[in-house]
Amino acid sequence: MKKISRLGHEARLGWTLVAPALSVIALIAIFPLGWTFWESLHLHELRMPWLGKPFIGLANYIEIAKDPRFWAALGHTAFFTVVSISLELVIGLYLALVMNRVFRGRGFVRAAVLVPWAIPTVVAALLWRFIFESQGGIANALLVRAGILKEPMVWFIEASTAWVPVILSDVWKTTPFVALLLLAGLQNIDLSLYEAAAVDGANAWWQLRHITLPLLKPAILVTLIFRTLDGFRVFDLIYVLTGGGPGTSTEPVALYTFNALLQNLRFGYGSALSVVIFAITFGLAMFYVRGLGVKLGGEE
Amino acid sequence: MQLNPGIRVELQRTPDDANQRHQLYVQWLNARVGNPSILQLDVVWTPEFAAAGWVLPLDPYHPARSEFFPATIIANTWAGKLYALPWFADVGLLYRRTDLVPNEPKTLEEMVSQAQAAMARRGGPRYGIVSQGARYEGLITGFVEYLGAFGGRIIDDKGEVVVNRPEAVRALEFMRDELYRTHVAPLDVLTWHEEEARFAFQNGNAVFMRNWPYPVAAMSDTSQSKVAGKFTVSPMPASATAPNGHSTAALGGAQLAINAYTDQPAAAYKLIAYLTAPEQMLERAQVVSQYPTRPALYSDPRMRGTIGIPLENARRAIESATPRPVTPIYTELSEILQIELHRALVRQVEPQEALNSAAARINALIERTGMRKLMSGGAQESAP
Repeated sequence: MKKISRLGHEARLGWTLVAPALSVIALIAIFPLGWTFWESLHLHELRMPWLGKPFIGLANYIEIAKDPRFWAALGHTAFFTVVSISLELVIGLYLALVMNRVFRGRGFVRAAVLVPWAIPTVVAALLWRFIFESQGGIANALLVRAGILKEPMVWFIEASTAWVPVILSDVWKTTPFVALLLLAGLQNIDLSLYEAAAVDGANAWWQLRHITLPLLKPAILVTLIFRTLDGFRVFDLIYVLTGGGPGTSTEPVALYTFNALLQNLRFGYGSALSVVIFAITFGLAMFYVRGLGVKLGGEE
Repeated sequence: MQLNPGIRVELQRTPDDANQRHQLYVQWLNARVGNPSILQLDVVWTPEFAAAGWVLPLDPYHPARSEFFPATIIANTWAGKLYALPWFADVGLLYRRTDLVPNEPKTLEEMVSQAQAAMARRGGPRYGIVSQGARYEGLITGFVEYLGAFGGRIIDDKGEVVVNRPEAVRALEFMRDELYRTHVAPLDVLTWHEEEARFAFQNGNAVFMRNWPYPVAAMSDTSQSKVAGKFTVSPMPASATAPNGHSTAALGGAQLAINAYTDQPAAAYKLIAYLTAPEQMLERAQVVSQYPTRPALYSDPRMRGTIGIPLENARRAIESATPRPVTPIYTELSEILQIELHRALVRQVEPQEALNSAAARINALIERTGMRKLMSGGAQESAP
């Protein structure tokens, strides 16, 4: 009995001590989320005060489910996320392996690789738009000179080609970040494992597959979480590069939500879209943590 | 103010970007903020603000409607009442290289053949017609002009959505043909806004350009323009093949309205009346080349040389101006059209299909916003 009451006392003390932190989380995370959800159950069009602000239950969610533009946007987001992250992982791993070698000027190379990551997304996007935009642009000039294109093309008027600058710029910008995360993982691998494998006659490919990749798995999964969530919320890059066009062929969900919420000022519907995006990213994060066993804390 | 010494005027800065300014206004007005007491509105916002009850009707002050261009009054009228006065006009113009095409095209078809002929000449410009074809509001203003040229409309006087009727389809087909069949317009215009079109024309790379009045000053400056003294403007022509088609210019410009939450509506109206008086418009034309909204000023000798182009052509263009649909749901209607027009122009879908889809979605929008009732009431009274 005594022990239990002491535990109870300690628990109470514990709760008291974390209360400030918890209330901050409640204030900045849970309260806005709850508010957004409440808003999403209403018809609330800032531009049309004559409609009032009636409670409409799940009608906004039903409208989303029936909205082909939303499903298309979801598809674009998934496509963008999968393609760009795959490329970033492969190239990032390669860069990390190179940077992990001991060579002269390693510090300089590591810093230099980070430059694209340091450029603000909007600036980078403008840069890539400039490269691809006009028929006399750099991309067209290079491709024509290399004989890959017969004549200059207009990249942004066809869905398939409009994705090229979008994905290219994301890969260019984010691969350094991926490489750095993987490099940190590589440096945790005990070098004696490679020595032992080399003694046993394993070649570099075998070492990569059976030592590096398995031991790098935690770092890869952490990278995947970061990048998937980022990819799913992609906004500024596409906003600047294609504006979601041609038509709405490259529009991601975040841009569609921005449109509903801040261009059309449909607060109810836009809030419902925000809740849906939140649910999807939350579900993805849960999948990574629970399903793939990513450890976000320090525990082993 | 010298005429009204009792009124003190304070200026308040707002964002230059139309979308941002609109967003700011909506936030203020939802919070019932009474300052500023006068709002500068874009021409397509007046019905929205009027229906929302955010601006006051001006009728109690008896403004002289008949002294302004009719289109500018229609654009500011909602449910039979006038809610704003036009401060200055912006209007879609057809720029033409006079050294290549001396005669003003009488029809759209003539414009295309003139462009082709000029392009085919040795050393002729690369492009025939440059315009704004990116997926944004500019695309709608261009479409409205072709639509009028073929006798079509987006919404008719009864409030019916008619944007998928044959005239509208032919207008959109004509725009598409300029890109892929007659090849007078470069595919680049599908990503262009005003400035890209201006660069092309100013550097001597285009025969015609559809644009607003603003580039006249820069393009007349020999230090930066290759076409100074070699261009003029005229209204967009009508199609020769459409019996109901008429020369049409999109109408833009700034309007002044009274904030419904101000505690000084009468003083606010006095300031609006002052700012829209002939003397002030004349001064705006002289200082910043903004087009007056009063037709009488275009025959005033003091206007000569103020706007850099023949006054007569400017007046004709504004007289052919047509407001975009006068409805509180314009912004969303425009977004639907932007997407569908762009889909047709990049050849993702056929024009008829794109316009059918636009009509269906606009009708759904009208239902969703309870606009059917509001619009039939409003259109009957505000129709020309």
